[in-house]
Amino acid sequence: MSFALETESLVKTYGAVRALDGLSLRIPAGGVFGVLGPNGAGKSTLFRIALGLVRPTSGTARLFGAPAGQASSLRRAGAMIETPRYPPYLTARDVLKMLAMESGAVGSADIDYWLERVGLGGAADRKAGTFSVGMKQRLGLAAAFFTRPELVILDEPTSGMDPAGIQEIRALIRDLADKEGVTIILASHQLDEVRRVCDRVAIFSKGKLAAEGDVEALTGGKPRLRLTVSPADKALAVLGAKGQPDGPNAVLADVLRAETPALIRALVEAGVEITEARWREADLESAYLGALEPKDLVDAR
Amino acid sequence: MLADAIAAERFRLSRDRTALFWGFGFAPLVAMLFSMAIDLFTRAVLHRTIPGETTDLANRAMGAVAGASGPFTALFLLIGAAAIFAGDYRWETWRLLTPRNSRVNLLVAKLIVFAEVAAWSLLLTAVTAALAGLFSSLVNHARLVAPPGGSVVMGHFAGVFVITWLEVMLVGALAGLVGVVTRSTMGAVIAGLVVVFVQSTLAATMQATTWKSLAIPAYAGRILKAFVAAPDEMRPEAGPAGLGLLLLLAWLVVLAGGAVALFRRQDLTKE
Repeated sequence: MSFALETESLVKTYGAVRALDGLSLRIPAGGVFGVLGPNGAGKSTLFRIALGLVRPTSGTARLFGAPAGQASSLRRAGAMIETPRYPPYLTARDVLKMLAMESGAVGSADIDYWLERVGLGGAADRKAGTFSVGMKQRLGLAAAFFTRPELVILDEPTSGMDPAGIQEIRALIRDLADKEGVTIILASHQLDEVRRVCDRVAIFSKGKLAAEGDVEALTGGKPRLRLTVSPADKALAVLGAKGQPDGPNAVLADVLRAETPALIRALVEAGVEITEARWREADLESAYLGALEPKDLVDAR
Repeated sequence: MLADAIAAERFRLSRDRTALFWGFGFAPLVAMLFSMAIDLFTRAVLHRTIPGETTDLANRAMGAVAGASGPFTALFLLIGAAAIFAGDYRWETWRLLTPRNSRVNLLVAKLIVFAEVAAWSLLLTAVTAALAGLFSSLVNHARLVAPPGGSVVMGHFAGVFVITWLEVMLVGALAGLVGVVTRSTMGAVIAGLVVVFVQSTLAATMQATTWKSLAIPAYAGRILKAFVAAPDEMRPEAGPAGLGLLLLLAWLVVLAGGAVALFRRQDLTKE
């Protein structure tokens, strides 16, 4: 398996602050990889190291097998780090033209196509400095994608966008990964966005990797039936391997929706009182909160 | 590639009309307008004419270029240089650029584009000075005369132009270094202006030509310009001028090299 981004014992300190604390991570090429974590967990620092914007204190980071920050590997990557800003005297088209010149890709970069694709066709000749946050994000996405890189790093790509815009950009990200084979690394605080768009997820906590895996595996995969019951141990006995406790008076049942009536009947016949039954959808939030230490949650507030 | 970075930087500056006007066009234009206003004032208000007065356009152009490295012009050049060298910190745009080209190329491209636009600015200074001279000759009915020495003057003009351009490049490289260190356009302008003012004052107080006085760029520039602009028989010794040229070049290498070396290793967290 080839990796788009690999880090080994990566450390970055800013004075007394340890932004990355021995991070070892391998992000495979292909698909959409989500990076989650509270503010200050080290997500943006990882991206900045990968793009050569900051130098690691120790450890290694490799982009497509080459040391991060090297021009040869950076030419295969596009990125949007935090809300992008632009010189106020450049139009949206000028921004992309300048970046195409900088990359030596003036001929191959289809500027008008990408401005249309991110919904800025009508604003191509407006000064980018006058754009709303959402429009700046859209231009940042065009800038990340328009040289057709193999890897795109996106840090909070939909922040500041309206709901329709968010949906549009999510579809664009998925489309590029599925149809054009672009590897996308996406950091977001919107867990629902990560659940919908990403194939794999890493959760950072205090500059370390707290959890990593397929979204389905982390979220428990399919929906489960949560029953508030009394007594819980009798209900667990009926459920057997399909049950697990979820608090003092509740159990989670790993069953299909069609099996629900039979299960409830069996529980009632066994003398279990059921006061509530509801389906719990696959839940990244629980996985996210479970991976973080309580102090992270306080710090992130 | 460096050529890509230069093309991008040139394109960007062509769109930054504020920096182009204030940094590289304002000083020559205002000097021309000021000269014209003085001529009009002396003629229309004071009704004063000097019988037999002549105007030497080449000499006026050479004088204007020679004076273009002074503190007044440096202020405006520093505004332009700060926009070029520190603009990416101000607009937080390094993060868009550094993944697309090497840091050395990005900064060297800025130096090269500054060198180009500084040369154009000096040329504009010469042209506007000549235009002001032409206006003066019309208003004062002064006869236009060719400079003594004929075609040799072109060589003198070229020499003065190159020396002044070198001094202006020092101002640009200084703005580049201060811009990288302070990450601020204002820092580049203010610190640069202080240095230019101090060294101009020091140069004015220097009596003897020693290696110490030649190490002050404004003094070295003055000696060099006197050397290249003077007729052959009046030229001072070539020794101090050569040393002055070497020291000017050394300053340029130190300032530009320092800016590139610092920028290469600089963390761009929040530009």
